[in-house]
Amino acid sequence: MISSFYIAWRYLAFNKVRSATLVACITLIAFLPMALQLLLDESQQLLQSRATSTPLLLGARGSALDLVMNSLYFDEQVPDVFTMQAAEDIMQSDLAYAIPLYVRFHARNSVIVGTTLDYFDFRGLQIAQGRMFAVLGEAVIGADVAEDYGLHPGDAIVSSPETLFDLAGVYPLKMAITGVLQRNHTSDDLAVFVDLKTAWVIEGLGHGHKDLTSTDDASVIMTRTEDSVTANAKLFQYTEVTEDNIDSFHFHGDLSAYPITAVLAVPDDVKSATLLRGRYLENPRYHIVRPKDVIAGLLENIFRIKSVIDSVIAIVGLATVMAIILVFALSVRLRQRELSTIFRLGCSRMTTVNLIVAEITLIVIASSIISAGLLYLVDANADTLVRQLVLR
Amino acid sequence: MNRETTVLKIVILLLVSLTAHANDELTVYTVNYPLAYFAQRIGAEHVHTVYPAPPDIDPAFWQPDSADIAGFQQADLILLNGAGYAKWLDRASLPQRKLANTSVAFQHDTIRVEAAVTHQHGPGGEHSHAGTAFTTWLDFSQAVEQARAVKQALVKKRPQHAQAFTHNFRLLEQELVSLDEHVKNVVSRKPDMALLASHPVYQYLARRYKINLKSVLWEPDSIPDQAQWQALQHLLRTHQAKWMLWEGTPEPQSVKRLEAAGIGSLIFDPCANTPEAGDFISVMKRNIMELEKAYRD
Repeated sequence: MISSFYIAWRYLAFNKVRSATLVACITLIAFLPMALQLLLDESQQLLQSRATSTPLLLGARGSALDLVMNSLYFDEQVPDVFTMQAAEDIMQSDLAYAIPLYVRFHARNSVIVGTTLDYFDFRGLQIAQGRMFAVLGEAVIGADVAEDYGLHPGDAIVSSPETLFDLAGVYPLKMAITGVLQRNHTSDDLAVFVDLKTAWVIEGLGHGHKDLTSTDDASVIMTRTEDSVTANAKLFQYTEVTEDNIDSFHFHGDLSAYPITAVLAVPDDVKSATLLRGRYLENPRYHIVRPKDVIAGLLENIFRIKSVIDSVIAIVGLATVMAIILVFALSVRLRQRELSTIFRLGCSRMTTVNLIVAEITLIVIASSIISAGLLYLVDANADTLVRQLVLR
Repeated sequence: MNRETTVLKIVILLLVSLTAHANDELTVYTVNYPLAYFAQRIGAEHVHTVYPAPPDIDPAFWQPDSADIAGFQQADLILLNGAGYAKWLDRASLPQRKLANTSVAFQHDTIRVEAAVTHQHGPGGEHSHAGTAFTTWLDFSQAVEQARAVKQALVKKRPQHAQAFTHNFRLLEQELVSLDEHVKNVVSRKPDMALLASHPVYQYLARRYKINLKSVLWEPDSIPDQAQWQALQHLLRTHQAKWMLWEGTPEPQSVKRLEAAGIGSLIFDPCANTPEAGDFISVMKRNIMELEKAYRD
């Protein structure tokens, strides 16, 4: 038997291209459905665990999926914005506490999440290095952001302009990194977290500049009356919050009219959740969703697509297996003279069968090893792959 | 602030936090002394009150450092005065769930201060009183509402002690109502009498008790310059006051010059910061005794 394997090995080694093609075909047929299942399991687990741990999400009327994907997985598709008043209304309802989210801006390639400190308690996020942000212009970063860009507490990160040619837009804000979060294997690892008010400064709704009533530079003043001073565009606005200029940062108007993209509502109990949902049933401006339901719908669609892909793979697999059988059948015919020689040398017909079985076994073993290796790689990077292929 | 001081503050905060949690005490941070006093009176042994502003700074204009803000972030409950008090709150990151605004009950009834001069006193930096008048507790009926909000916030955090909190609140309420009645009685003796205030911090006191009060912008610890005296003379033409209220003990030179102009000095401490002696109630009683001097004549 060992000699059969030796001869089979030599034969396969001699016909490299043919052997490699057969190994590749079998590898793909074995690997693809298993890798797909692995990724789907991972995405299901990732989507469901975060959705299940988020009781209710309030957003502007529109796509529930966009709202959930942006608020839970920090997807780039920004839902319609609405005012902070909605979060205050939930707080005042005494049915739930509200965590406002403003997920819109970016720093490098990471999303900036503007929120309150309650978010970190709610998600159970801990600081691994440094400290939590304390004042305007400070940020804490997720573990992956720190790792990818080599950032540490004490470094700075700059917000990116929303559009490349936004010449009239606000200046990017340089934010001091005060801490790095412990890895928790969710979208939080990929985000830059700032206070909601810092997000509003990034948008230009809050800003710091020289005191106009005491400035010596008359060229920055457009009009001056007894009650007010209006500056022109020459007035320099600070692009970084420092100890020296923090007192000059201010917001105009009522903060409850400032924009947010979602409110994460955490009800006190099931009854409160039901009452809260009831309040927004007929609301023309807002809708309140259960992320678990939205993600269940999404997964249903994914699995519907998966079953179609499974059928396609099954047909392709069947065709491949038939092609392989054909290849071996043709191979046996092509090797007729070689097999006749073996037979004339005194070997039994069983030896011929053994040789072909050994060849098939070696090809299957090679394919299995490669498939296992590839599956191991997919499994090890499933989290990243799902984020890049499914969540982005 | 140097690194050693910051580290020391953080260690102290951690120890305070650990001790509080070991005793199941509620760690309550406040932005001024009156709220700290209310929290301590109502919460008694169930709360550990922390009011971290230094004694020589007006807490309304205090700017806490990162270590102080970290302390606020670690608290179980943060009592805010509302009415735009403590400007640093606009620039700090605090957990919204732990915040309790004690002036919600009268938030639509606050006093707007339209135009105000920027000035400086003490180590607190330049500031102006433009915006909303914030010494809300000097109207003792508002102080009762603030104390009630403190009680409600404590009950929400520790419902098992609701009975004790309610009992303690009732006692405090009685004392505040008594102060309220007392001031009303004092002022009713001469309802039209004109008074001066050295600083624009008595808006709610004047409104509640119908005191005919106008303010200048003087500091107890500095002698007014010529322009300030002229501004006073100008004011006296239409507002013939015989007494001036001071936030703290004024400079003897200022007192003498005022006396020469026929104006007596009274100390009415708003008690925003921890008093050197006594507590909120005793300081307010002393304030009313001072006020009686003006209304006794």
